[in-house]
Amino acid sequence: MSTLTVSVKWQKKVFPAVEIDTAQSPYVFKCQLYDLTGVPPERQKIMVKGGLLKDDADWPKVGVKEGQRLMMMGTADEIIKAPEKGPLFAEDMPEEAQVVNVGHSAGLFNLGNTCYMNSTVQCLHSVPELKSALTNYPPSGAGNNVDQSSHQLTVATRDLFIELDKNAKPVAPMQFWMVLRKKYPQFGQLNNGAFMQQDAEECWTQLLYTLSLSLKSSSSSEEPDTVKALFGIEFVSRVHCTESGEESTERESVYSLKCHISQEVNHLHEGLKRGLKSELEKASPALGRSAIYVKDSRINDLPRYLTVQFVRFFWKRESNQKAKILRKVDYPLVLDVFDLCSDDLRKRLETPRQILRDEEGRKLGLKVDQKSSGSDTDVKMTDNEESANGNGGTSKDSSLEGKEVHLTGIYDLVAVLTHKGRSADSGHYVAWAKQENGKWIQFDDDNPIPQREEDITRLSGGGDWHMAYICMYKARLVAM
Amino acid sequence: MVKVGKAIAFAQEYAKRQSEDAPFDELMELVQQIVAFHMQHNAEPEAVDLLMEVEDLDLLVEHTDKTNFKRTCLYLNSSAKYLPGPDDNLVLDIAYMIYMKFEEFPRALQIALYLDNMQYVKQIFTTCHDLLLKKQFCYILARHGITFELDEEMCADDEEREGLQEIINNAKLSEGYLTLARDIEVMEPKSPEDIYKAHLLDGRASAGASMDSARQNLAATFVNAFVNAGFGQDKLMTVASEASSGSSSTNWLYKNKEHGKTSAAASLGMILLWDVDSGLAQIDKYFHSTDTPVIAGALLGVGIVNCGVKNDCDPALALLAEYVDREDPAIRIGAIMGLGLAYAGAQSEQIRSKLIPILNDAKASLDVIAFTAISLGLVYVGSCNEDIAQAIIFALMDRSESELGEPLTRLLPLGLGLLYLGKQESVEATAEVSKTFNEKIRKHCDMTLLSCAYAGTGNVLKVQHFLGQCAQHLEKGETFQGPAVLGIAMVAMAEELGLEMAIRSLEHLLQYGEQNIRKAVPLALGLLCISNPKVNVMDTLSRLSHDSDTEVAMAAIVSLGLIGAGTNNARIAGMLRNLSSYYYKEPSLLFCVRIAQGLVHLGKGLLTLSPYHSERFLLSPTALAGLVTLLHACLDMKAVILGKYHYILYFLVLAMQPRMLMTVDENLKALPVPVRVGQAVDVVGQAGRPKTITGFQTHTTPVLLSAGDRAELATEKYIPLSPILEGFVILKENPEYRDDQ
Repeated sequence: MSTLTVSVKWQKKVFPAVEIDTAQSPYVFKCQLYDLTGVPPERQKIMVKGGLLKDDADWPKVGVKEGQRLMMMGTADEIIKAPEKGPLFAEDMPEEAQVVNVGHSAGLFNLGNTCYMNSTVQCLHSVPELKSALTNYPPSGAGNNVDQSSHQLTVATRDLFIELDKNAKPVAPMQFWMVLRKKYPQFGQLNNGAFMQQDAEECWTQLLYTLSLSLKSSSSSEEPDTVKALFGIEFVSRVHCTESGEESTERESVYSLKCHISQEVNHLHEGLKRGLKSELEKASPALGRSAIYVKDSRINDLPRYLTVQFVRFFWKRESNQKAKILRKVDYPLVLDVFDLCSDDLRKRLETPRQILRDEEGRKLGLKVDQKSSGSDTDVKMTDNEESANGNGGTSKDSSLEGKEVHLTGIYDLVAVLTHKGRSADSGHYVAWAKQENGKWIQFDDDNPIPQREEDITRLSGGGDWHMAYICMYKARLVAM
Repeated sequence: MVKVGKAIAFAQEYAKRQSEDAPFDELMELVQQIVAFHMQHNAEPEAVDLLMEVEDLDLLVEHTDKTNFKRTCLYLNSSAKYLPGPDDNLVLDIAYMIYMKFEEFPRALQIALYLDNMQYVKQIFTTCHDLLLKKQFCYILARHGITFELDEEMCADDEEREGLQEIINNAKLSEGYLTLARDIEVMEPKSPEDIYKAHLLDGRASAGASMDSARQNLAATFVNAFVNAGFGQDKLMTVASEASSGSSSTNWLYKNKEHGKTSAAASLGMILLWDVDSGLAQIDKYFHSTDTPVIAGALLGVGIVNCGVKNDCDPALALLAEYVDREDPAIRIGAIMGLGLAYAGAQSEQIRSKLIPILNDAKASLDVIAFTAISLGLVYVGSCNEDIAQAIIFALMDRSESELGEPLTRLLPLGLGLLYLGKQESVEATAEVSKTFNEKIRKHCDMTLLSCAYAGTGNVLKVQHFLGQCAQHLEKGETFQGPAVLGIAMVAMAEELGLEMAIRSLEHLLQYGEQNIRKAVPLALGLLCISNPKVNVMDTLSRLSHDSDTEVAMAAIVSLGLIGAGTNNARIAGMLRNLSSYYYKEPSLLFCVRIAQGLVHLGKGLLTLSPYHSERFLLSPTALAGLVTLLHACLDMKAVILGKYHYILYFLVLAMQPRMLMTVDENLKALPVPVRVGQAVDVVGQAGRPKTITGFQTHTTPVLLSAGDRAELATEKYIPLSPILEGFVILKENPEYRDDQ
């Protein structure tokens, strides 16, 4: 019986004097090492000069010498098992699921000077409530009293919105365009055999008008006008005649605020204020002749989405085209319209605004407070849910399961439609829309490009770069 | 002019007499006198020039003395680069003799390594009797990356020999590297996100992907491996192993898909690079996996851990050998590539007998054969081994017509070429045989062989030959121009002047070349300036990275990573960040950008990929072989790196070396001393004692050295045992040092 003494190195440890009984099988030696290291023999790998020690090997043949250093490999760790269900990879997903991954919806192909239409569609597409209202639109036009072409346009809009959400690659809005031209033949104008560039604002207004008609009539009686609830702005105007002292009150509803641009207007707010005051000449019953009346409008009801149009184009007779005002007019990312509101509306806004202020104060003061920072998303969530239910309601007193959501008069910028060029019927229209994940995307026809938020406010004009033509703001809501 | 004129006059006279068979005695007597005069009056270059003209450099040895031999040898060394063979070797032989005469052993060793003359190396070990000096030699040999066995003649004492062999085996490399990392305070592991720095791009970056993308996770795996290479800790792979309490769903390994898991498992080897003991222990758990790609990755990981490090127990061979003949091709490739990495340059008989049969194995798939050829090429790099060459040639001849068109087949000629790396004329016989190949691969093989054989020689004629090949217009979709363009870089990278000229030539190729040339140019630029971000090359690559041809763009992006490898260069990092947002929708290009980002931060900026070391004098053959393999794979990016052979990227590990100066005392313990680090200045042939560095700063060792940097001790207290302060340098106390106080 002979024994050898060797040293064994395992990881960083060295066991100096391990005895090998050469009469016994190496398995016995491994069991010895098991005592020392805790590595079960079947998981031990012992390296002897370029080979592994086999359990049934013969010691003399292995040729281990007295005092030799052996190296052992093996761990007592748990063996890693593959998870039951491997992770899903984006590459395995069908194309529609990849959209989520890209983080924005698809672009739209330009079908020949249709950038005005593409940008309008992209801006409106960023309104989830409109999307859900369209989804609920009954496929058959039967039973509603809109004309066939309006119905077709509504269906085409719905289908296009669905397409945009489904695809990661650009979509060709063929059907939509055909129906749009059918409904509004002016968009089908030809010039030298090609379709002409059109005014995006016109497209926007007409499209919304059609949608308001069809969505109103389609929905059941308890559901009021969806488009109006989303975009409608109600004015109350005091018409006052300075000469006679006559006074009357008018109410009217519009889909967008106009920002008139003149020499003194440098900021959106100033333009909006100007737009609310106008002079008109009309017959005065008291004076028995026409007199100058001053019309002083105030917002009496606010929508969920506030549309602001910069009146950049005016008809220039000498050049026979819609010329453009290039003046730089700044617009904010957060718009407060409180001082444009009527006293009545102000009163209604007071409490929600206070709550919003408190909430924000809390957030600023205690940034770590998870609860308060979470509340903002809560609001958005309920907002979405509400729209999913198709329960438009007049925004000011819409309620959801006991929780009331109130407008605050404060709006966040969500979409900008810009124009580049010198006249409305030429140049290039582009949509800049904020995605649900908070990132801005520039939709330049079929090419969506991510943008930084600070670059969005640079579209305010004053040069030949893209400048804002229509801005869409989304209401900041509070739950009470 | 007069001086040159004199040398020429002698040369003419010499040539005349040679042709007339007239006696030289009288002439030589004159030469003797002139040389003696020059040598005594600080005009060594003139003496050398004169002797070169009359072909009698041997005379120089007797005229050198303690005062002038250094300058003489410096001139000899640098003139050797510009001489045609075999004169260059002759000149270096003389320099070696002079160094040996004055017992300037470290310098002599450098020349011996340059000549790849192991006989000389042995001679140095037997002549020198200072153990400390021998240790320094071992450090130099270890950095060069060659396998060298000491015998009793070179070091009689067993224990001492074991100590020396341990240094050659690089056993302490990991330790030294970690000491450097701790000193520079970069031990904290970095995650891929720390490298991408997406927050600097805000809106422009891809939206926070809610879904795992297999390709992007694979990129993150590589970035993580490159960045944390050798640190032994990271935030993806090693963390998971510590918290392996059944939470395998969070395990990063399984965030990779199919063959991606191979690279993921192997990345553990990269993270634990050079640390054989803990590396093998951590990889062990993957061996018991039931998942084929994971096992393949574990095998590859073992190879990576052992790359450049040798161990008495030969763990890599022991672990990998039995897997080489498995059924599954993935596992075979893992084991074969692992062996290639672990034993690169070892010329191990065991591995040869293990791998050669695979080449003729009719059942082996093409990819297995391709990787076998590369591994054999690596293990026998620059050996001109006939048996292996034969085997690879037969394997090439056995390929079917369709197989010859496959991108992977092109790795076979490369494996063949690696056998002759830097061996110049020795390749001729094989090159002759390659002319009989199928025409699909014939030219490709010829170019590859030639470029490998003349790699690092600076041979201008070969550069011209390659340029000539690139001027041809191809009709049949042949592929040989890719290797030809790479060949320009491989040959011209030898010295600074030729390198600059090659960069200019490549610019021309970019303008006039066709697509298959243009896509290779960025790679060639990447090799020329590897880990050396020259601004002009950076600009060229940046321009090409937006090229409309995706293959050119991908090559340019990867090359941006190569030129910035391990430098943390802020400008390249910025460029790549912008590229990552530019290409956010194109997964293939984004993958390349990520890889490049990982490379720029290689080892958190402590590593270099440059195969040159010792003041850019010596070329490590294994490092060059690793780089060339990767570049050849990049010639067809789509089929190889973007396909399922992405682990080819791990061949870079062969070129990874810490770019440090670590001073150690006589017991090999780290010894911090002040050193001056600055730009190296060329002092060849200059009068007096010119400063060798400029614009220096004083640091305390260990310090990082950038490309073109040189260090010198800032204290008189110690004497370095190596004249070149790079890597590990042993310091000896200066007996004449007096403290001023």
